[in-house]
Amino acid sequence: MVLKDVISGGKGQAFMLCNEAIVRGAIEADVKVVAFYPGAPTSEILDTFSEALGSFDYHMQIATNEKVALEICAGASFAGFRSLTAMKSVGMNVASDTLFVLGYTGVRGGLVVVMADDPHAHSSQSEQDGRFFAPNAYVPMLEPSTAQEAKEMVKEAFAISERHRVPVIVRTVTRVNHQSGVVELGEIRRGKFERARWRDLKEEYLTLGEVARRKKVRMLERRAELEKEFEGSAFNSVLRGEGGAGTGIVTSSVSYLYVLEALKSLGLWGRVPVLKLGTTYPVPRRLVADFIRGLKGVIVVEELSPYLENEVAVIAKDVNPAARIFGKRSGDFSEAWELNPDLVSEGIASALGLEHGDKTKIVEEARALKEGMPDRYPTFCPGCPHRGTFAALSQALRALSASGKGYYFANDIGCYSMWVFPPISKADSSLCMGASVGIANGLSNVIEERVVAVVGDSTFYHAALPAILNAVHNRNRFTLLILDNSVTAMTGQQPNLSTEYTAGWREGKRVPIEDVCRAAGAEFVEVVDSYSVKENVPVFRRALEYDGLAVVVSRRECALYGDRRKRRRGEKITPFEVDKSVCRRPYACIRDVYCPAHEIDGDGQPRISPELCDGCSVCSRMCAFGSIRRAGAGTGNENGTGNQKRNDKEKEKEKEKGEGAGERR
Amino acid sequence: MSFNIFICGVGGQGLVLLTNVLGRACLKSGFKAITGEMYGLSQRSGSVSVHMRIGDDAYSPLIPVGEGDVLVALEAIEALRYIEYLKKGGLALVNRRVMHPPVETAGLVRDRSRKYFSLEDVVSRLRSYTGRVAVIDALAAAKEAGNPNAENTVFLGCLSALRELPLDPEKVREAIAEAVPERTVDQNLRAFELGRAAAREALCGSGVCRD
Repeated sequence: MVLKDVISGGKGQAFMLCNEAIVRGAIEADVKVVAFYPGAPTSEILDTFSEALGSFDYHMQIATNEKVALEICAGASFAGFRSLTAMKSVGMNVASDTLFVLGYTGVRGGLVVVMADDPHAHSSQSEQDGRFFAPNAYVPMLEPSTAQEAKEMVKEAFAISERHRVPVIVRTVTRVNHQSGVVELGEIRRGKFERARWRDLKEEYLTLGEVARRKKVRMLERRAELEKEFEGSAFNSVLRGEGGAGTGIVTSSVSYLYVLEALKSLGLWGRVPVLKLGTTYPVPRRLVADFIRGLKGVIVVEELSPYLENEVAVIAKDVNPAARIFGKRSGDFSEAWELNPDLVSEGIASALGLEHGDKTKIVEEARALKEGMPDRYPTFCPGCPHRGTFAALSQALRALSASGKGYYFANDIGCYSMWVFPPISKADSSLCMGASVGIANGLSNVIEERVVAVVGDSTFYHAALPAILNAVHNRNRFTLLILDNSVTAMTGQQPNLSTEYTAGWREGKRVPIEDVCRAAGAEFVEVVDSYSVKENVPVFRRALEYDGLAVVVSRRECALYGDRRKRRRGEKITPFEVDKSVCRRPYACIRDVYCPAHEIDGDGQPRISPELCDGCSVCSRMCAFGSIRRAGAGTGNENGTGNQKRNDKEKEKEKEKGEGAGERR
Repeated sequence: MSFNIFICGVGGQGLVLLTNVLGRACLKSGFKAITGEMYGLSQRSGSVSVHMRIGDDAYSPLIPVGEGDVLVALEAIEALRYIEYLKKGGLALVNRRVMHPPVETAGLVRDRSRKYFSLEDVVSRLRSYTGRVAVIDALAAAKEAGNPNAENTVFLGCLSALRELPLDPEKVREAIAEAVPERTVDQNLRAFELGRAAAREALCGSGVCRD
């Protein structure tokens, strides 16, 4: 992330990630309060706000979950402050309880909710079409296609929010969030942050009984007003086409960009009219009606569900019932996964009955070339504490296997989810934040196997806690592993309640997980160091055999986070190496560990890549022969005595290390 | 016109920074640029990719299949994973470095008769797809520049040596100095020069270099 573009006072242009452009838009709009729970593909919005915290006067919190984040923003908005939160669509599931009520109560200061869908489930547990939240909650929605448009829409969303006293959703998709482009910077005019005085507005902000019924009518009126306003919105545009084929295209979001690409490659540029919708709830019906009135066919290009297609079909029924509608229901586009320029070309060509450049040959040739190529799954980073935790757990399970008892692994959402991937491939379920503990509550009462639930620190606070309280109260029996790496690692190492910092790396108070569990009434609570594999095996054994709820907190900071802190303190990272004269090749260092730094060399000897090794020592602790040592160490184990040779080698290594250009996100 | 660069590698190799530098250089040169980036979350040590598109005719953040002008692979095996994005006759700039995924190493431990997928396997297959393959020892160059993590910058140097890249190398150099951490600017500029030299050597006589 390059902060200076985001905070630069001057106008001009910058090459920006869309998520940075969103922050820039909010800063230009003089946002005063922001709150988040991190979630890909929106995490850089949080990160950028966090870094810019020193440059502007706004209040920021990293919240326990998305619902709390939205409520922080809602509270600020009630008091008249402009506020913004961003979340992925599965986060909106958590926040939606509050969003629906805000649709009723309305807001005061502009409240903007950036909500990102993830077509193709690149980094989510499901493909979800969050657009349906907007009509369901009667909350207006804008959809940008580019970084530039995202910045403009966020700015305008604050104005719409204040004009209509309603939260506004700016809905993105992964390919919009993680798109970089040239962005025109606007002027930054910031007002000072000053506490407001609470005025008696209570009636406006509750929905009990009669109030809810009254407010429902108000929501419907507001929708009509918004629709009228959106008819004239500059975010909607028509790309003229001579319309020779009598067919036009309706589209939005990143799909609009794919449509442009497709028109170019199919030679249809200037021949097919395109209606690009930037305001997708409420849909500006008259605009759509005018566009489709004279057409023989309408192609709707959108990702995920046929949201716009349904709207277009309903409008067509009144103004042009003969028009054929091509989209998901006609089979020209799939409802599964994200679109791309090739799929959109194919879909448009198929709707128009045209030949399109067939790329099957290229794809088939490429497929043949990939024969036998290894897969590359995401995995624990070198130095990741979870590797040590799972190594000890695997050993404990092997030791207990003689008993014949089986195990069910309820995994959750976080870095430890990667336990599902080969070569480890060990997880029976993984649903959504905190669900592993909820599932364990149910399963442990109905199956013979011992249930092992896994959560991380951030997930613990976010959504697992109520399920843990439930387990204690109901005397449910299972093993709960809380893997505390002290940051929200998977989304880019943001601080959480287990970190001693808050947003902007300001000092905060750590909330110790073990204290919370003990206070909740859990009787078996043990804390271990994730790297101490050997010492942890008996603890895990006892936790697996305990007749009740057994909690093990396995703690060691995230390696990427730790490395960053070490570099800041000037500490050195020394990799390990294999002493081939001692190694007897049982490969214990590789089995149960599966570290990317481990390879096997030409003579079948384990080898540790010095560029990748993080010096965590977990593999050396697995070796029965003491053949894995810190590079440059003499003999013996990792604490081997230093000597001149070691010092020289370390110095040499240090020269090589240094902070790389590589690591940014 | 549009010029398409497909960049791939392994999570942690700095693809995003590489892209950001190219984007800044485009801005300095007055070119429109748009990218589609796939990284983050669980992509550490996993396969990552970035679509980089330069020029007024590039609308989508994704390159259509078979329309990449250059494929840059910061890890050799990854070049093959995305080969369909390269146009026939396009240039593949491939790192000599092979990072064997743990799943592959685990397979070798289970079955000792197995062999790693090698650089030679990759290069011979790439050559059957396109006549233009350049193998670059970016790790060696990065180490020589004083920072083994600067492989990404080495590839910026390689790209800058190409006649077909519509960017002035000086603009790329300026963009590097702006985008990398301050204390690593010198190392990165050295890595950039070594990358230029490496590309010139690898592509020597093929007429694709600037000088």
